[in-house]
Amino acid sequence: MAAETAVVGPVGVSGRRGGVIGDVVFRSLTFLFALLVLLILGGVIVALIDGALPAFRTFGLSFVVTEVWNPVTKKFGALGPIYGTLVTSAIAMVIGIPLAFGVAVFITEICPLWLKRPLATMIELLAAIPSIIYGIWGLFVFAPFVQQYIEPPIIDTLGQVPGISMLFAGPPLGIGVLTAGIILAIMVLPFISSIMRDVFETVPAMLKESAYGLGATRSEVVWRVVLPFTRIGVFGGIMLGLGRALGETMAVTFVIGNAHNISASILQPGTTISAALANEFTEADSDIYLSSLIALGFILFVITFIVLAIAKFMLLRLQKQAGG
Amino acid sequence: MSPATARQTMPMSLPDSQRTEAQPAPRQKVLIRNVDFYYGAFKALKNITMPLHDRRVTAFIGPSGCGKSTLLRVLNRIYELYPGQRATGEVMVDNENILSPGLDLNLLRARIGMVFQKPTPFPMSIYDNIAFGVRLYESLPRHELDERVESALRRAALWEEVKDKLHQSGLSLSGGQQQRLCIARAVAVQPEILLLDEPASALDPISTQRIEELIAELRPDYCIAIVTHNMQQAARTSDYTAFMYLGELIEFDETERIFTHPKQKHTEDYITGRFG
Amino acid sequence: MTVYARRRMANGVVMTLSVVATAFGVLWLVLILWTLLENGIAAITPAIFSQMTPPPGSAGGLLNAIFGSVAMTFIGTLIGTPTGILAGTFLAEYSRGSRFGEVVRFINDILLSAPSIIVGLFVYELMVVPMGHFSAWAGAVALAIIVIPVVVRTTEDMLNLVPNSLREAASALGSPKWKVIVMVSYRAAIQGMVTGVMLAVARIAGETAPLLFTALNNQFWSTDLNAPMANLPVVIFQFAMSPYADWQTLAWGGALLITITVLILNISARAIASWSTFKQ
Repeated sequence: MAAETAVVGPVGVSGRRGGVIGDVVFRSLTFLFALLVLLILGGVIVALIDGALPAFRTFGLSFVVTEVWNPVTKKFGALGPIYGTLVTSAIAMVIGIPLAFGVAVFITEICPLWLKRPLATMIELLAAIPSIIYGIWGLFVFAPFVQQYIEPPIIDTLGQVPGISMLFAGPPLGIGVLTAGIILAIMVLPFISSIMRDVFETVPAMLKESAYGLGATRSEVVWRVVLPFTRIGVFGGIMLGLGRALGETMAVTFVIGNAHNISASILQPGTTISAALANEFTEADSDIYLSSLIALGFILFVITFIVLAIAKFMLLRLQKQAGG
Repeated sequence: MSPATARQTMPMSLPDSQRTEAQPAPRQKVLIRNVDFYYGAFKALKNITMPLHDRRVTAFIGPSGCGKSTLLRVLNRIYELYPGQRATGEVMVDNENILSPGLDLNLLRARIGMVFQKPTPFPMSIYDNIAFGVRLYESLPRHELDERVESALRRAALWEEVKDKLHQSGLSLSGGQQQRLCIARAVAVQPEILLLDEPASALDPISTQRIEELIAELRPDYCIAIVTHNMQQAARTSDYTAFMYLGELIEFDETERIFTHPKQKHTEDYITGRFG
Repeated sequence: MTVYARRRMANGVVMTLSVVATAFGVLWLVLILWTLLENGIAAITPAIFSQMTPPPGSAGGLLNAIFGSVAMTFIGTLIGTPTGILAGTFLAEYSRGSRFGEVVRFINDILLSAPSIIVGLFVYELMVVPMGHFSAWAGAVALAIIVIPVVVRTTEDMLNLVPNSLREAASALGSPKWKVIVMVSYRAAIQGMVTGVMLAVARIAGETAPLLFTALNNQFWSTDLNAPMANLPVVIFQFAMSPYADWQTLAWGGALLITITVLILNISARAIASWSTFKQ
């Protein structure tokens, strides 16, 4: 049964060639498509800069700090949208992070086993619901609700406190920065809580057991053992949620009111970068209008890129820590 | 006693052993010569020189980490899948050095079959598992392929158990059956050499026995090398045994002699269980 | 109060708050789905599947929008899936430890979470401006760009789960590397990869922003891929923000359709994923 000569296998040259050519072709193919991913990002950067350049050339860097937005006089400034983006995201974080934390703690520490999977799925379905659904629901259901039941009490209580009263000034409109921020909080909740859950599960059981063994309560174990152990991952998850909140478009567009002026009060309408783009892009009637909008897009891209890169770094460091 | 200087016997042609059946004089199929192996900077094999005889079973024994699996994996250059692992020296198979750089690895591996510690059935039907290797190199008409599959399964003593369910997934078999499937898969491509890396260590005692019987059945047709951490298994199944320790070949001899009159004290200590 | 009593109270508070937070999250899901059903079910009539989007003040349906969404989702998936699979294969099988692989993985994960409106702007500059008009092709490309990072991630993750011993066993038979990948690794990972594609489709089924600048919208029935094409999300956007009641009803109907599709895809994907791990 042994072959008599050394080199020839069961089949000769054609079998060998097919293998090598196939390997070279396949490897090159996969390499090219991997390169494509980089090219997409490069393309995005180039396209945005290209479209935004006229606006930056016309208005200079003061574009970023100018509030005026006047399609008639063709004077544009990004301050309103930038401010709105940052404030709505901040509200979303302030509300969303504790909520996400509570959900993560519940699912990992308190939840009975049979409930874990369905509950986790339900929270994740919150992430699956498309943004426009949040938008339409926000406009027709949530905004009126906020107008009737949430804003009046806020105005009556926090709005009367000297020093912070200007944050809550103005009539209850329903739509506005606060409403948008709350909806954003619901939208980023599943992202943050899902990452928190994943990192909470990586805490070695022995570590928690030694704390329980010393008589610590559950909340103490979570606060003093689990959280410090996972803080890098938790921070990464928060950054990821922030990245999502900054870029969220449709949900915000419906309820933010599309007003380019900045007001201190979060009960007032405002605009975000993505909402401005969605609302005004198709109506932009001059080149400089269009270019200003694209410039807004570029600014948004830079902000989210930085935030997401930080998130990715954190999560990578966590992986290395766990693996090493 | 330090195993630093190893002297091993290298029988080129042995007189018949004490077995009662008439044996053809064993021919040297593989000659491993001055082989070193590195995982990165770590030298895992040191100057190994030993033969493997055709139509005989050679066992590699030794404590964990001694390099026996590493040595086995040199023989079909499967280590080349991983950057940072390399071998130096020569491995002559029928007077051709298979460690030479220009060699086509796929063709080499078609001549040398390997069975791993954990059964690794492919996620496809039993038939396709066996046919996988054959289809790589030969385009056989359907009935010839069927015959090849059947003969491979018969050689692996699995045919009777699976002949009615050839199109079920390979994963549906029990552990012992899966391992025999892997053996059938390896012999289907008609290799000359079979490398078995602890083939029974993941199996229950009854399946282990089946595998050992299988090895005895395959012995007349292949040059077989088996790595085992089970000394009794080595004594039961092999004609020659190589004892390794910390990357060095301490002793190589006929199995009978190694287990009754080992030449090196270290070998004796291992065999009698003074260290494991 | 003793220290211990205070600790117990703190524990109680934290635990209660987490229950409240979870209930809050679930409540939101239920509320949204409920209102969607309540408002949308009125619009789900046979007309919605047989008539086109009407001008304000008349009755109509969403047929052209449904067709457009299905067409562009399909084409986008068709373009994005093989791209993502091949790129993910490169990351899993060919890039062990290489710098290039790390960079691609990093960039891919950023694209995964990047605002979809940016993708829309990109394709606007890439295709709409040179072509001089909006088109369904541009819309499909924008959706493909959103699909790619999702598929890359799931393909790489699933291929990484395939045990090395399987690859070694195939190589030990003399199989060239590409056959090991295509005939063994892909087969072992197929369920996970399909799940990934389903989740990607679920994601683009509801995307509005990228289509705003690429496919725009079309009031009439059209199968011309080279022209603006109606699609559900943009129609919902336009109709919901309008003051016309029948437009608003249609918007709810479209929203319900999208949500049902997305939920079915998501739940099926999860079911497949857990069924396959259960099987092994």
